[in-house]
Amino acid sequence: MSDQTLPSLYAPKSSLRKVVPEWVTTFAVFIFLALLPWMPILGWTDIFDSSNNFGRGNLAFVFAFAVAAVGFNLLVGYSGTLGLAVAGLFALGAYGTAVLSAPSGAREALAGYDWPFFLALPVVCVAAAIIGFIVGFPAARLKGFFLAIATLALGELIVTIIRLDEKVWDGLKTNGGTGKQVPQFRVPGLDRILSVYMLSLGALFITMVAYIVLTNRRLGRTLKAVRDIDIATGPLSIPSTYYKLLAFGISAFAAAFGGAMWAQNSSFANPSAFKTRLLVFLLVVLIVGGLSHKWGPLIGAIFFIYFRQIFQDTQKLLFLFFGLTLLLAVLILPHGIAAIPKRIADSRRGKQVQEWLAKQKWVERLQRRFKLLVGQ
Amino acid sequence: MESTASLGINNMHVSFGGNHVLQGVDLTFTPGFNGLIGPNGAGKTTVFNVISGYVRSSQGDVRLHGKDLLRMSRTQRVKAGIGRTFQAPRLILDATVMENTLLGRHHLFRWGHFAELLLLPQQRREETEARQICMDMLDRFGLAHFAHEEAGALSLGSQKLVEVARALVSDPTVVLLDEPAAGLGADDVTVLLRGLRQIQAERNLCVIIIEHDLQLVTSLCPKISVLHFGEIISEGSPEHVTTDPAVIEAYLGHGFEAEEGGEIHEVEGPLSEHHHIDHVEEESTLEEVWTEDDGPEKGESS
Repeated sequence: MSDQTLPSLYAPKSSLRKVVPEWVTTFAVFIFLALLPWMPILGWTDIFDSSNNFGRGNLAFVFAFAVAAVGFNLLVGYSGTLGLAVAGLFALGAYGTAVLSAPSGAREALAGYDWPFFLALPVVCVAAAIIGFIVGFPAARLKGFFLAIATLALGELIVTIIRLDEKVWDGLKTNGGTGKQVPQFRVPGLDRILSVYMLSLGALFITMVAYIVLTNRRLGRTLKAVRDIDIATGPLSIPSTYYKLLAFGISAFAAAFGGAMWAQNSSFANPSAFKTRLLVFLLVVLIVGGLSHKWGPLIGAIFFIYFRQIFQDTQKLLFLFFGLTLLLAVLILPHGIAAIPKRIADSRRGKQVQEWLAKQKWVERLQRRFKLLVGQ
Repeated sequence: MESTASLGINNMHVSFGGNHVLQGVDLTFTPGFNGLIGPNGAGKTTVFNVISGYVRSSQGDVRLHGKDLLRMSRTQRVKAGIGRTFQAPRLILDATVMENTLLGRHHLFRWGHFAELLLLPQQRREETEARQICMDMLDRFGLAHFAHEEAGALSLGSQKLVEVARALVSDPTVVLLDEPAAGLGADDVTVLLRGLRQIQAERNLCVIIIEHDLQLVTSLCPKISVLHFGEIISEGSPEHVTTDPAVIEAYLGHGFEAEEGGEIHEVEGPLSEHHHIDHVEEESTLEEVWTEDDGPEKGESS
């Protein structure tokens, strides 16, 4: 038994992955998305037609929602804690960056502290992470429904604080329930929408890379242990409360990040946009897209924005539609749209195709050539 | 005496409500194999739970190499050198066997999650080293070729072996194994015992085993303690324990008697009414195991 050679230390890759490693597909997707505004190949969809501002704006919304959903995915899909403060933290990101980066001398709807955008953004995200961490302290001891309710209350609390106007505290500058104009950050050399597009795409790139790196390694394993074998984490020396808090913090960071990107795009923030409805939207993004799958949030966000635009004029139908899809997704596709390829690959016919591919000479040649290309 | 003992339990009392589970238990465990046996409900697992920090004791203390264990948190105890397994295997079923085993080694990683995020080469080297150690450990238990299978796809016996491997990769000095052989096939038991013997000899571990399979315990452990209703009723060599009338009475009730070599025979005819039906089953499994003697040795020579 022990005389034989041991298998490789890392999991063997599928024949497809040997040809195209994971990081190559990830980078390819992002390069494709970055070049999309100059490639009018999605013209047929209207909604995602990247050659005009309407389509670019929608795509930028997709990226903003995907950023928040990536963090939500880490929290729900990996650590298994159903923290529902994400809508409130999204609002915190949107309002935080708006208030901090607004000019100090302006009128009420556009008054702020005159910080540079790239200072306000990390400060707000880190503040959200700290709030997530602190709220996690009591919440991490709760389970299931109780945790969901407690965190939902936190989200509502943040929105309620935003609703407070100058009479309560002058420094808040959220302009009460009437809404806040968001000063735009302009990437030099690009017009307004393109700049938002690139900014949101950059944000998604950062969060996705962090998500992939962290979940493929020790943090991913540890969070899964907290999710599945919480009772056994003691003898594994895993401080499970700390890891739950860490997941809360990371997801809060991503939610605020996504919120900031959303605000940049919509250029006007209103407290009513961050009601529980937003939470349901993010759940649709997460569950329809695919829980604990790296592409789930992006696919879910595309799905969500597409149908939100289709039902633009009939809001009531929108909720009916999302309610039904959520129900059907849980019943038919519990792992979301992103899991469909794996489902096909694991089917009998899919395995036959894989075996056939493994025997082909050209696949081998392609693998060898690719290895030369990337210098492995 | 104190210097050679790895783990010492002194006057341990535990009660859940009015149920006194442990009533003044004194135990010392030295490097080597220590058996902890007793009928169901005797408090064996509670002893483990006190040691690993799942149950608070109302009285008494536990010392690991002279250090007071009860003041430590669960995670600190692991760092101090306690490893344990559970009666039912607790693995992440949708993670691979390798990932499950790596969990046992996480607390020995020097680099934090931030280094992980930045893909520092030192961190990656550390990960590879940890994987190498886990792979070697899995190989000892004949699981190397399942390393990249999902743990949920394994049989219960293999899952238990994975759990033992996970407890051992964390470099413990005292390992608590809660019924490691229950539910294992004969082949798996052979592999388990061989692996445990090798590692014990290499690292001079103190292995404490709770087991219902008396044949296994008596062949493995030079020292056995018997718990019954929260008290130690007998302690010593396998011969001493298996022939101790108090032990036989606790295990089988009245009417049984041991011969030389520890074999137990029924002296009276049919079981009288106060014998629980469990005892009949227990006796029959005892007989079965007897027939497949010398399994481990055969496995080693091949």
